[in-house]
Amino acid sequence: MTTARFIHHVRVELPPPPEAAAEARARLADKFPRTALRRMTHLGLLLGSALDGVALTPDDAVVYASSYAETRALEDFLASFPAASPLLFQTSIHPGGVQQVLIGRQQPVTRLWPLAGRSRLVEQAVLTALLEPAPRVVLLGGEERGTWLLEQGYASDRAFAFAAVLTREAAGAAGRVSFSPQAGAPDENCPALAALAAALAARTPLAWCGAGGDWSITWS
Amino acid sequence: MYAAPDQFPAGLEACECLTPFGDAAATAGALRSGRRALELTPVLGRDGGDPVPLALLGPMDETLPPRWLPAVHRLAAQIPAGSWGSAREPVVVTSSNFGVGSMYAFTRDRDARHLAHGTPFATVELLRRELRWGEHVTVFSHACVTAHLGLAHAARLLQAGVADRVLVFSFDFVSPFVAGGFHSLKILNGGMPAPYAKGETGSIGLGDGAAFAVLRRDAGPFRLAAHALHNEMFHFTGNQPEGAGFAACLASIAGAVGGRRIWIKGHGTGTLEAGRLEAEGYARQFPGAPLVSWKGSLGHTLGSCGLVELAVALAALRGGEIPGTVGGAAPSFSAEVALAPFAAAGFDGVLLTANAFGGAHAAMVLTYE
Repeated sequence: MTTARFIHHVRVELPPPPEAAAEARARLADKFPRTALRRMTHLGLLLGSALDGVALTPDDAVVYASSYAETRALEDFLASFPAASPLLFQTSIHPGGVQQVLIGRQQPVTRLWPLAGRSRLVEQAVLTALLEPAPRVVLLGGEERGTWLLEQGYASDRAFAFAAVLTREAAGAAGRVSFSPQAGAPDENCPALAALAAALAARTPLAWCGAGGDWSITWS
Repeated sequence: MYAAPDQFPAGLEACECLTPFGDAAATAGALRSGRRALELTPVLGRDGGDPVPLALLGPMDETLPPRWLPAVHRLAAQIPAGSWGSAREPVVVTSSNFGVGSMYAFTRDRDARHLAHGTPFATVELLRRELRWGEHVTVFSHACVTAHLGLAHAARLLQAGVADRVLVFSFDFVSPFVAGGFHSLKILNGGMPAPYAKGETGSIGLGDGAAFAVLRRDAGPFRLAAHALHNEMFHFTGNQPEGAGFAACLASIAGAVGGRRIWIKGHGTGTLEAGRLEAEGYARQFPGAPLVSWKGSLGHTLGSCGLVELAVALAALRGGEIPGTVGGAAPSFSAEVALAPFAAAGFDGVLLTANAFGGAHAAMVLTYE
């Protein structure tokens, strides 16, 4: 039986590649309390911007996907050794990016599902969202550009973030995400997280086969 | 109103762990004897630093291959046969550390080979290759409630019929990276943890730990019957002062406990404020239910603690006697804190909990016949 949710809010942050945290902080300053702003990472800022205009409630669930997780914050934390920085330690722990935003808002949520995979991350994040009984699920994702870990091939080469609000209400929806089980269906390549962000930004459809079924994201 | 818990009785086909004491049965035995695995160890390993309580399977300095890999192999040898990592038998990996200690090793040694198992996905790719899992490996990381998330997600996969069996695999090994971080927060200091004790100062210990569970739809004698989660988002490292986050999670799971006679395996790291809020919360919601923590011996195995301590709880139930709160001392934050071992007979359920940074709370109910 097909499992589906409707997409009601989409916002994607795709800053130009040279943007660093300081520039994002200046660009997005009006979206965050000043006290929180100075401590936020680039990923936290982008996630907060993607969530701009979404009023969460304690009954909502959040699914947060990132292949590299808080790798950029981790680079900074390591640079603080041997006098390890408590602030940088906190922000280096997954899911620090989304916690920066929700703690800044003092916004409790019932369930938060932070994923950190790679090859089938999008499929797994969407499945996690579809299995959520909460009436409203916020699907978040993002990466931030690494520095020395990027030179070694272990960090993202770009920064981006997205937020999509998923509900069971078809009325007024911008799109639909669904999974239809197909016994024995072979796995195809699953779109990467950046490809999902691009599809959400451009409202282009996505479809693939994996985890024993067909996946699709379509737009109204 | 509190969120309804997930209620789907997932049978535990197998569940095992590895701690400095050995497997789950050896660990439960050591805890019953009141032994501590924690020892005072320099916080940065061979780089020195203040002595802090760590429970390690070996020296924590990073090696090539990583020091955790042989331990993971030792544990994985006990996983029942299956098409693990296939669509119908997926794997859920839960960890808060992964191989992050390798990053610290790289910054110190400049040997790029350390990075091949530093990031979460690189660590899991190494695990996949070593343990011959397929591609369907979901990775969760949510600090110290991570293993609870993995188990809850596994139950959802079974309930939805998208999986036949699910392997949840968790591992967290201490490194200077992690020990240094907790030391910087001033909650890992020179004192041994005394969970739920009304002391002058609180302190945690950290421990190596790995565990797995195989969950299946058809119920066995031991079942994970319900899961509840709550994220208060009040502060990065603190909880709401009146304990509202603990109360929300416990109120959510209370309906699933029903009339069962339970004992509680709490989180109990040894910090004062969280320990007080936790113990008082249990006493309010489940008055009279004995409360234990084992982190005064095993240390805090971080993202893996929920699964490591589940395996120990199962072994304790099989042995007929539940270990008390090793390292605890009177007076405690509530009368329910059990300092000494007690008989498993007379109970028909266990509430297992964990708490994490960001005010994340997790609880699950283990039932048995």
